[in-house]
Amino acid sequence: MHRLSLLLLSLATLGTAVATAQPSFTGPVPVPPADARPDVLRRDYLARVTETLDWYQSAITSEKPLTREQILVKLIRKQGDAQVSQRVLELMAEPQSGDMFWMFPWTAVAFAGRDQLSPEARAAIRDAWRTYFPMRGDTENHWAMYYASLYLMSELYPNEPGTSWFTGKSSAENLAESREYLIHWLDISTTIGQGEFNPTHYIGEYAIPMIYLAAWAQDPAMRQRGQMKLDWLMADLAANTLNGVLRGPNARTDDTSVIERWNALSSYFSWQMFGNTPPPSGYGGWGIYFAILADQYELPEVIRRIAVDRGSDFVQRDLKRSRRRWRYSDVEMAPIYKTNYLRRDYAVGSYQGGLSDPIQAHVWDVTWAVPDPRGKHTTMFSAHPLSSAQVMQTYFTELPDAMIDGLASQGKPSYDVPDKILGSSPYEQVFQDLDTVIALYAIPEGVRFPHINGYFSRDLVNVTEDKSGWIFAQGGNAYLAYRPLAGYEWQHLLGYRQLPSQGGGYRWERVDHGDKGDKLLFSPHRHNGTIVQAASASEFASFDAFRAAINALPLTFSLEPVPTVTLKTLRGKQVTFTYGQAPVVDGQPIDYSKWKLFEGPHLNAEKGSSILTITHGKLQRTLDFNTLTITDQINE
Amino acid sequence: MKPTSRLLALLALAVLPALNAGCATAGHDLYLFGAVNIQGRVAGSRDASLNGVYRRQADGSFQHIGINYPAMLTGSFDPRDPRVFYVATINGVLFTRDGGQTWRIGTSWDMTEPKDVRVDPNAPDTIYAALPDGLGVSTDRGLTWTRRENGLPARGKYTQVVTVDRTRVGRVLAGCETGIYLTEDAAQSWRAVHPTKETVNDLQQSPHDPKFWLAATQSAGVLASRDGGLTWAPVAGLATEKAHYNIAFDPTNPQRIAIGGWTYGLLTSEDGGATWTARNDGLPAKHRVWRTAIDPDNGHLYAAVVYDSLYVSADFGRTWQSAGLPNSRISGFAFVPKAQP
Repeated sequence: MHRLSLLLLSLATLGTAVATAQPSFTGPVPVPPADARPDVLRRDYLARVTETLDWYQSAITSEKPLTREQILVKLIRKQGDAQVSQRVLELMAEPQSGDMFWMFPWTAVAFAGRDQLSPEARAAIRDAWRTYFPMRGDTENHWAMYYASLYLMSELYPNEPGTSWFTGKSSAENLAESREYLIHWLDISTTIGQGEFNPTHYIGEYAIPMIYLAAWAQDPAMRQRGQMKLDWLMADLAANTLNGVLRGPNARTDDTSVIERWNALSSYFSWQMFGNTPPPSGYGGWGIYFAILADQYELPEVIRRIAVDRGSDFVQRDLKRSRRRWRYSDVEMAPIYKTNYLRRDYAVGSYQGGLSDPIQAHVWDVTWAVPDPRGKHTTMFSAHPLSSAQVMQTYFTELPDAMIDGLASQGKPSYDVPDKILGSSPYEQVFQDLDTVIALYAIPEGVRFPHINGYFSRDLVNVTEDKSGWIFAQGGNAYLAYRPLAGYEWQHLLGYRQLPSQGGGYRWERVDHGDKGDKLLFSPHRHNGTIVQAASASEFASFDAFRAAINALPLTFSLEPVPTVTLKTLRGKQVTFTYGQAPVVDGQPIDYSKWKLFEGPHLNAEKGSSILTITHGKLQRTLDFNTLTITDQINE
Repeated sequence: MKPTSRLLALLALAVLPALNAGCATAGHDLYLFGAVNIQGRVAGSRDASLNGVYRRQADGSFQHIGINYPAMLTGSFDPRDPRVFYVATINGVLFTRDGGQTWRIGTSWDMTEPKDVRVDPNAPDTIYAALPDGLGVSTDRGLTWTRRENGLPARGKYTQVVTVDRTRVGRVLAGCETGIYLTEDAAQSWRAVHPTKETVNDLQQSPHDPKFWLAATQSAGVLASRDGGLTWAPVAGLATEKAHYNIAFDPTNPQRIAIGGWTYGLLTSEDGGATWTARNDGLPAKHRVWRTAIDPDNGHLYAAVVYDSLYVSADFGRTWQSAGLPNSRISGFAFVPKAQP
């Protein structure tokens, strides 16, 4: 063996050993290797897989029964001994619950253990698919888990009658229905845009079913679909992360991740795929369900490079779509026009405003890079704290009153609180050009919470309220200017602390961190607006120079009859944005109807095409869902 | 489920007062559709409680039957055979032909979250499902389903309730987001008979006068029709600010009607709907009535108070007693004629 190879092998082994001793979520921030040789990258990738599996396996003790995750790790490592089978039998003897979150883990156990578990253990799992009736759920991520699992189990147990399945349908019927739905979902997500786009946590609920299909489906076409959609998801992740941290708009996030942007399951995927950020604690919880098969996925180098290369600024525009609207809307799924501008020191992202998803959406932000994102609140934005029973009914098939009342106990504590910073609103319209964001608000009378909340992180420095009306601040190496268009006051932004459940779902208390905590810019005006302008510190001689440059920008605005702003941006663009009208840049109105599914230096796809071209430098991969082909090429 | 766990679950349900015990010898079985232990429940919750269909027992308690499934809404029975019934669930329309021992999801992935399901009593092979994006029909006892939406608007056809006119085969009223729609040809075509700005939550036909219908709405109060659903007018004396959820006629007394809702609790009329009285004394302070029903055998009034219990009144709401099912959400009642021996 070559001496260098031996050295690399030794380092890899050492790295694994170190990782076992100190998991990466508490270890140093990983740095992508300067040496981008495929074998080095693959070695590191597999070391991360090993670390995750080791972490779960190292927690196995003789005193505690095996968890489902530990069972999986043992099976995937071909250690499916009698103890594992016995534990499966014990778990299967308990009442089952968890719906689609039950389906995919047990699908994994069934497949990983098909040649190791005892006949009794395999039969117990199989019979649970007759006796336990999981809910299909009401979101696309639920359905991805449900139908991918049902598809695979129907393939694993073909030719069995409806009486042997909870659905009452035969293996062939289950397989046909699952296949039809999965292909339908792939069709719409690759033609009119991803629903539940760029989710900080739900990325796992899509990526895990896809890798299961890619690895375990018997039908080569379905395997290929799983592989290709996984590429698609990872490419979308790569283009939306700053040093591995998913930022910018999200269809779904939560009260923690919207401000501590790193702290999300998406960071597990960045860590596993790109090695450029620490994983969240415990690998995000669900990470293990991806890790068990991650060694069977080959991350395309072109995607990795998109994730780790922030040497050149780039703008990426995407078309996504809202969650399905059942009622009180003229459209079934609203188009979401996303803009992302990524630079080395910060990134700016937005969509055009309005409702995307009813809860947990995030519309826009400026997020800055920091050496270690753990525990840091690295973002700035404003939002209207919408709370509306009719909006909930638009997206959910529920009676009008119970949903808002029940959300806090269902793990969404902020939906109906006035200092909410999470969520989209029909009364917010946003325009972004590079690193300028203008958010305008026109809240009708009678709307609950008729005010705007601006988020000011505890991690900002040099926060300065200028007599010009701008508020200046610095986050990392980003200079930030925030201009509220109406009067405001400062409040402490209270945090949420989860309390032990007393049998009635989630319980929370609010926590005041005092002057050292985050701040809320509370602006109690229905017609309102926010302008944010960002720049790299390296672009200016000093913070004062940045302030002077911002103050010199020509700016006019008014709030009546509707908010309108005319601004010359720091980048020299003349922007006019009036609530209810198309934004105008240098005299040209923005026509969103012409936007493509993806458009930018890295990701490109025509609307309706089902073909995504992924590009970085000379590397290019094309995913064609029409022909189920993957084409790699090197552009000269 | 382990036998001990199932026994405990049954004991938890069996807390009915003596009030109900006398019902067992009457002419109907009572089936409930819903879930217990609902506070904080979301898709994926871990939970060992028994949910879905409950049937009243001889001692007045409720026994869970069939599959354990927490998102069952309403059920409808084949009048020819009470072992055959259909349930609206989040997975679609489920049906059983053996009294709940075995089930099949009749619908496929393209029909989800039906809010209501009804058998045509005059053509019981035909089943109607109220869908959040329209209306589905099966003509083969639930095995296959097709959409029949001709005449419903492209947008605005969210359908919360579907009710079959018992006097004429294929005559059906649908309560939608944009109003009340009528078909007289088994859903081959629909026409709007009354517009609303928000969802129609319930439609009920009087058991005494088939021309008399009531509709509970989200923001138009309660509507009445005296011509079989062709024309509708607001019922006087009922608020319109908040939603009314559902309506129950008393089969034993044509003058008695009940309305349930989250905000107003339980409202009753004892003069055929001319005047209304809140009957919330004795219900929990948060008298959020998710569903009300009236026993056709004895006129007992039920109020399913969500996140709380099932309550029953023998004096039409003047006094209430808990009927068990704590921390529950009961979405559907079905009184089914007992099978003849």
